[in-house]
Amino acid sequence: MSEDIKGHSLPPAGEDQPAVVAEALTKRYGPVTALQDLSLEIRRGEVFGLLGPNGSGKTTFIRMLAGYLAPTRGRLTVSGLDTVRDALPARRRLGYVPEAAPIYGHMRVHEFLTFMGRLRGIAPADVGRAVDRVVERLALGDVLRKPTRALSRGYRQRVAIAQALIHEPEVVVLDEPTNGLDPRQIIEVRELVRALGGTHTVIMSSHILTEVARTADRVAILLGGRLLGVRSVADTPDLEDWFLSLT
Amino acid sequence: MSALAVLLRKELHATFTSPIGYVLAAVFLLVLGYSFALTLFATKTANLIYIFHQMYVLSILLVPVLMMRAFAEERRADTLELLLTAPVREVWIVLAKFLAGLALVYGMYAGSVVYAVILGLYGEPDWGPIYSSYLALMLHGALLVAIGLMTSSLTENQVVSAALSLGLALMLWFADSVAYLLPAPFDSLAINLSLIGHFRPMVTGSVFVSDIGYFVTLAMLALFLTTRWLAER
Repeated sequence: MSEDIKGHSLPPAGEDQPAVVAEALTKRYGPVTALQDLSLEIRRGEVFGLLGPNGSGKTTFIRMLAGYLAPTRGRLTVSGLDTVRDALPARRRLGYVPEAAPIYGHMRVHEFLTFMGRLRGIAPADVGRAVDRVVERLALGDVLRKPTRALSRGYRQRVAIAQALIHEPEVVVLDEPTNGLDPRQIIEVRELVRALGGTHTVIMSSHILTEVARTADRVAILLGGRLLGVRSVADTPDLEDWFLSLT
Repeated sequence: MSALAVLLRKELHATFTSPIGYVLAAVFLLVLGYSFALTLFATKTANLIYIFHQMYVLSILLVPVLMMRAFAEERRADTLELLLTAPVREVWIVLAKFLAGLALVYGMYAGSVVYAVILGLYGEPDWGPIYSSYLALMLHGALLVAIGLMTSSLTENQVVSAALSLGLALMLWFADSVAYLLPAPFDSLAINLSLIGHFRPMVTGSVFVSDIGYFVTLAMLALFLTTRWLAER
């Protein structure tokens, strides 16, 4: 699908350009510092895991990336586009699934996906094909006509992921995507995230070490709003020891 | 504009599939019907001035309840995060909710046209004040919808949102009643802020640009503040 949205042609992203760059990123809520001087680069096509306990700053980072929060200080770019200054073009390049996997309860699944597709700038003539594509990819055919409020937790999560993929974004951001899922659903989401890697840059947060280890190419550890380290999962056979040594 | 159309369609769907709007519209029309019959039999004159004053009061009581869900529900269900991270400007989100709220309120007002038709069939009403009263009601409704939207954007608690909105509308209604306690120039400011002070002339058939400007300015201020509060997060 074309990324040309409402006539706004997005600048082509260079192959070598990182998908996401954070420079001295800081977020304060009054006297509380949620994120302190975070600097990192996320490469194109990789699955990047953010690991840390609750309150470590993962969701704050993800919300700034999605454009929901503005940084107090520092800079954050998606494919070279500043998330504050170039907010709308940056958001067009991104698909986001919040932790609660929110969906509109008064809509049916196909209505919700059509609405999100249109909201993300897909032309009316193309939105049907875009919905069909994500429905097939996420195996949502059985629930397509169901009201979203009647869906199980697993299907809700799949619908939430489908809305994030509908406009074929370069970067997909998943906040705690396996939260509240049963083991089978966790395996399904894990396989989906792995499948997305390569064609998309995937950034996912989790507080479960094994989850990140099984899914991500690289992992960053956050604690108390600070970035403690970034490592390749393949080059770190004992991720648990590394995590314990840092925390 | 295409984003506004998409958002407006979603808002209209949510507004007109929720039972709250229909229940409140039924209450509104029931009370009006009762008052219309009562005043017609009591006064035996073909005018709707009592009905328009009743619609003014009922709007102040009911519109905050109609609008309390607008942002509060989105916040509670976390769907606001979906809207605010989509590539659309906050102003379109606010305008879509405003227009959907307006559609519901104007739909309620449209139900009252039947009383004017009855008067027209069986009497000889003065149509000028009736037209200007509908203009006053439309402006009044738009201001209340904008205030309801603004208070709804401040909280995820719908009751708090409705209470704030009702409180603000009542303060505007009675603003002129405290004017005599205030020193100049605050006394004239209080008089000029009065909601009823700008509504009453139009109901009696006198349309002033200053009265229209009052409603339009305050409604735009409320919408502007709503957009600012949504953008500053």
